[in-house]
Amino acid sequence: MLEQYLPRWLRWAEDPELVRRAPFLARAPLFAGLPRRLLGRLAPRFFEKTYHPGEIVFHEGDPGRALFVVLEGAVEIVQISAQGEYLLRTLGPGDAFGELALIDDFPRSATARVAHPGRLLILYKSDFDALMEGNAKIAMVVMRNLSRMLAVYARRTSVLAESANRSSREEAP
Amino acid sequence: MRVGWIVTAGILTLVWLARGLMLPILLAAMLAYLLGPAIIWTDTLAIRRTVAVAMLYVVIITVLVVAGYLLGPGLFAEASTLIDRLPTLTRQADAGLDAAVRELGESAPALRRLLPEGGRWMQRFILDRAPGEPTELFQHAGHLFLLTILVPFFAFFFLRDMHRLIALALNRLPPQHVETSVAVWRELNGAIGRYIRGVVLDGLAVGILAAMGLWAVGVPYPLLLGAFAGVANVVPFVGPLLSAGAAALVVVLTPGQGLAGIVRVVLLFLVIKVVDDTLIQPFTIGGSVHLHPALLLGSVVVGNHALGILGMIVAVPVATVLQETTRLLLEHRRVLARREPRRLPGHLVV
Repeated sequence: MLEQYLPRWLRWAEDPELVRRAPFLARAPLFAGLPRRLLGRLAPRFFEKTYHPGEIVFHEGDPGRALFVVLEGAVEIVQISAQGEYLLRTLGPGDAFGELALIDDFPRSATARVAHPGRLLILYKSDFDALMEGNAKIAMVVMRNLSRMLAVYARRTSVLAESANRSSREEAP
Repeated sequence: MRVGWIVTAGILTLVWLARGLMLPILLAAMLAYLLGPAIIWTDTLAIRRTVAVAMLYVVIITVLVVAGYLLGPGLFAEASTLIDRLPTLTRQADAGLDAAVRELGESAPALRRLLPEGGRWMQRFILDRAPGEPTELFQHAGHLFLLTILVPFFAFFFLRDMHRLIALALNRLPPQHVETSVAVWRELNGAIGRYIRGVVLDGLAVGILAAMGLWAVGVPYPLLLGAFAGVANVVPFVGPLLSAGAAALVVVLTPGQGLAGIVRVVLLFLVIKVVDDTLIQPFTIGGSVHLHPALLLGSVVVGNHALGILGMIVAVPVATVLQETTRLLLEHRRVLARREPRRLPGHLVV
């Protein structure tokens, strides 16, 4: 009797949203490698918000206070200049953006715009800091992932700078 | 726009009509803040909130029943003895005061007009203030009963549904305000939560210290006075004075304690205050509020003027909310003012 009802009751006692959120976060590169137990700690700290197409998540130059993870839909990262709009990247479910706000207090370096209706998870910087201070393992894994991402940024920067230099040398008379 | 105004007016009317519920709702919010960390912990285990809050309530009720079983009889006995002996004690104290006034009058006759004999000071101060009419007593008991039902009831829903209400509010917010709103909410929520939990822990520590100290210096009713000191400690500045005053009053009413008893009580509460400020508060309240002492005192005075004792209790969290909101909004403006974003290579960002 108990064996029959206990698993069913335990399943009912689980919060379906939080149960779904933890493995989803595991797919985000920033949280890759975190064990399930620590993802469970991380998951409830996120706020969730629904966005409509065309809505701006943040503008370039806005103060950065949070990290965003795409739960559903698509988000475009664009830079707007006098020459026009330049699409940098389109992000889908599982992708995170705004991670540099977790490191420093600089304003946003690009604009994030919702391309398809969707839901975003929002992690506020103080919550992230509190989590890192309270758990060395989370701090270590997330910092390692952040370092890897920054290393990728740096390599791509040098490749871009080199190709820009080369093309300017070729164009020169 | 017009719909927004109508909704706002409707909400304000509802709040006005339900103003009687403000106290239980406020106390329930405080209780929810107190129990919040337990629910955050169950969230990490992905337990449904209804189940988690219900389990927490079962644990709390069990703890209260055990504490009541262990401490209840002692507290009840002390309270009954004090209430029974209060008329006799006040008469004795008044007789002592009359004798002192008579002696004072004989040595300085000019004081007789200022301090007439038979003033029945203690009786007027203590007995005449107690609710005498049975209807008044029933009214007080009714209010207390209602509070003990309503506060946990509202706290249950705060704990269970607050995250849903926040999600609802976030979805109603224009996207450009989301980050700042989340920032303000998280900072305030954290500061208020830490303050309320800190104050309760601090009150518990002070109550235990006071009860042990009063028992050690031989003041009667140490459990009752310790419990009072713990509860009164919630009110900044005034609370410790009130609890020291209550203990001194009991000493005055107790034959054989004399002036030495009052000095012992004053010294004890001074020591407790110093220990609390230097050793206990850094661990309990710590850095949860960063109010300037003048602002802290000012907020307590304004709170007392506006809402009495309740106002004094909520003054510090309210002042903290105002201060933190102002700080975050100013910081937001400062960052916007230096709107010079970092420039990163194209594809990876933000």
